[in-house]
Amino acid sequence: MRTTLFLFLVVSSWAQTLDPAKLSAPPTDTWPSFNGDYSGRRFSPLTKVNANNVSSLSLGWVYRMTAQSAGPFPGSIKSTPVVVDGVMFFTIPDHVWAIDARTGRELWHFAWPSRGGIHIGNRGVAVHGKWLYFETPDCNLVSLNMKDGKERWHKQICDPDLLYFASAAPLVVGNHVIAGVSGDDLDVPGYIQSHDPETGAMQWRWYAYPEVGSPEAKSWPTVEAMLHGGGMTWGSTTFDPELNLIYFGTGNPQPVIAHKGRMGDNLFTECIVAVNADTGKRAWYFQSSPHDTHDWDANQTPVLIDGTINGQPRKLLAQAARNGYFFVLDRVTGKNIVTSTFAKANWAKGLDQKGQPIPDPAKYPQIDGALVSPNQAGAANWPPPSFSPATGLFYVNASNAYSVYYIYDDTEKPEGWGGNDRGGWSETVMQAIDYQTGKIRWSHKWEGPGGPRSGVLSTAGNVVFAGDPQNNFVALNATTGQPLWRANLGAGMSNGPISYQLDGIQYVVVGAGDTLYGFAMHGK
Amino acid sequence: MNRWLVGALWAELIAGTLAAQRPPAPAAMKPTLPDGPGRQVVQQACGSTCHGAEIVAGKGYSRDNWATVVNSMIARGAKASGTEFGEIVDYLTKNLPPRTGKAGAGGVGFIGSGPDDAHLVDGEAAERGKSVYVAECITCHGNRGRGGPDSLPPPQRGSDLVRSLVVLKDRYGATIAEFLKKGHPLQSGKPSASLDGPQVLDLAHFLHLKVNDTLRSGPFSEVINVLTGDAKAGSEYFSGAGGCNKCHSTTGDLAGVGKKYDPPALQQKFLFPKSFSVGRGGRGVTSTKPVTLKVTPAGGKTVAGVLLYLDDFNVSLRDDAGEYHTWTRSSGLKVEKSDPYQAHIDLLDKYTDKNMHDIVAYLETLK
Repeated sequence: MRTTLFLFLVVSSWAQTLDPAKLSAPPTDTWPSFNGDYSGRRFSPLTKVNANNVSSLSLGWVYRMTAQSAGPFPGSIKSTPVVVDGVMFFTIPDHVWAIDARTGRELWHFAWPSRGGIHIGNRGVAVHGKWLYFETPDCNLVSLNMKDGKERWHKQICDPDLLYFASAAPLVVGNHVIAGVSGDDLDVPGYIQSHDPETGAMQWRWYAYPEVGSPEAKSWPTVEAMLHGGGMTWGSTTFDPELNLIYFGTGNPQPVIAHKGRMGDNLFTECIVAVNADTGKRAWYFQSSPHDTHDWDANQTPVLIDGTINGQPRKLLAQAARNGYFFVLDRVTGKNIVTSTFAKANWAKGLDQKGQPIPDPAKYPQIDGALVSPNQAGAANWPPPSFSPATGLFYVNASNAYSVYYIYDDTEKPEGWGGNDRGGWSETVMQAIDYQTGKIRWSHKWEGPGGPRSGVLSTAGNVVFAGDPQNNFVALNATTGQPLWRANLGAGMSNGPISYQLDGIQYVVVGAGDTLYGFAMHGK
Repeated sequence: MNRWLVGALWAELIAGTLAAQRPPAPAAMKPTLPDGPGRQVVQQACGSTCHGAEIVAGKGYSRDNWATVVNSMIARGAKASGTEFGEIVDYLTKNLPPRTGKAGAGGVGFIGSGPDDAHLVDGEAAERGKSVYVAECITCHGNRGRGGPDSLPPPQRGSDLVRSLVVLKDRYGATIAEFLKKGHPLQSGKPSASLDGPQVLDLAHFLHLKVNDTLRSGPFSEVINVLTGDAKAGSEYFSGAGGCNKCHSTTGDLAGVGKKYDPPALQQKFLFPKSFSVGRGGRGVTSTKPVTLKVTPAGGKTVAGVLLYLDDFNVSLRDDAGEYHTWTRSSGLKVEKSDPYQAHIDLLDKYTDKNMHDIVAYLETLK
């Protein structure tokens, strides 16, 4: 660490270099990581744009992706841009761009020669000093020079032959680059790992299954089922520097739908997990969906809140999970404080002593179908939520949804999927949740069909930014939910919005399909 | 095996197979959508917001499975008219039928999972390979290659080949041949190295097929049976608690509905009437009843018509005379929305699964 700090002093004349202190500070003139800071709150302390003047927010620049993403469809910007020293970095699968954060002018573009994998989305880059890190669908962690986009090294982090792929935004913590993996086609285990930012060497790996013979291993019927049990780590990771713990969620167990070969809770799939950043050693876990059978990955951001419960200051963690449940935990111990629902959810028959939902076997997928809410896309999914310390509200663009879950493979040993959900109905609602009680403080139902959903940004200007199903980028009053302003972008908002201020101008940047829009608030 | 040993095995697997060699392959050509009627509407509905080309290009499904995919997208907010959804399913079915092998971009899994150079299964070769499998492997490795039955004593209980690295790393028999050359017991008692090249290739096709069978896009993506309900109870629900008879008549609009759809389609259709359904005989059927609006400006006259656009800021409709009307929404502007399918949406919160299966059993009798 000392060496690193020394290096920063030496290289401070370089234009684009990230001061590591920025990673844990509320974002102002930077947006230095996927969530803006380690807390995962996606809260901007800026107030130049506020509920009183947001209606005069104007378009400053537009950047449309260049031809390298050729194909019949233009691709979609699902990454949250990162801004360092006036330069913005964002991705789509296999591609990274650097553009000027004031003008949208392209500085460089990097294309990775792909060997395959799912190209459904890439969440963006991480930064350490003057280096960028991103993942590729064919399972590589790649480091680029921020200055010119030239590759420094790449390391393979998973195996495409086993149908893993990589899509997450890495997280830089001290001298660690934390990288999660994706893929739920075959019955392979999930894990998350840490790499040396300079050399790319792997430092530790944490597997999403317990030690053989441990009490948690009893949550699987056999060791074989456990070692093939899934639990991918494709969501965003948050970090508490005081506790030196990183927090992330794990995905669905395998086989996904036809579950009879894995009766039990299936730890550590569908969990919120706290792991020591230096060692990869687990501190605690909380299971959002014990024995999931609906593909409801618990990878939604574990948002860190420094709040108050019963008058006592507490270190908290909140998640609005894909299964429709909202959890507030003590992030020191993992103990549950609040469990509530923030969307329709008919699949649980109550809560256990730990505050975890108890799945109702009648709502497991059935041969003749079970009508389940939410649907497979979930009440929430990858679009990041936001927490505002100013209002004390947790904002999530949620879905009320139903579909029918079927078992297709009723034979002795189903593997992979063996079932799926079909059809459905959904509607999208912005929910503002009181973190102390889990109660919905206000709710704004969007017109039109459900989805696509968007990420959320809240600001100290009492504004919440999000997308509606009609391609609008909308500003809502953070306290009341009243719609204040919109810009129709012609395509659905496809990422989480960010905000930063440069030379007295506050920018709000959002992606919609193949285009980034830079809105700007000028004047005093 | 303790956890760290297991972890180490995985680490070794990953490190061993993933030696940090720069992939030599040049950037693969991105798959494109074939020309044909419906291509434009596919691009517009599927490509404008959410997807890259890889999502559909290079994939192959049956008509039923494409309809399932499209319905799931409708449920997630895909925007197109009922007719357009029909065109989309027609286009995808015609141009992207189930893949049978040879060249293609992207992996074999759902939405392109797997490496570009994945083994593509040749159906006929897999069929021949099945004979090899039945003759030499099935006793120990089980009917579908997922490992021998528990009834076998451990030494004879063959491993799960669907989860076997030898199979998953294989391309066209290369890795499997290498494995068999080292010597492995066969049912016939022959030396495993005596299997010839074509036999190993056929076997490889069969084993890769068994892997693909477990994917979400695999051939087992069919509903097995939904006719588990009680038709009489369904009839009672129809006219009683469900209130279906308030809008529908079994001798009117629903006459013969059991002939029109097979039972799995029927179940999806009454639950989610806006979904695209494949009727019996493969005909696409969609509902087209639009949402209607009544808009009343402050002190003005009410205008009624078909909803064209509605968000928090604007509203527009087309009236019976075909005229277009558009307004900025404000507190003084009254907007009343009427969805002809609202009763179906409300019922989603009320149905039990028994109600659902009883209704299907009842509707199935309406032939």
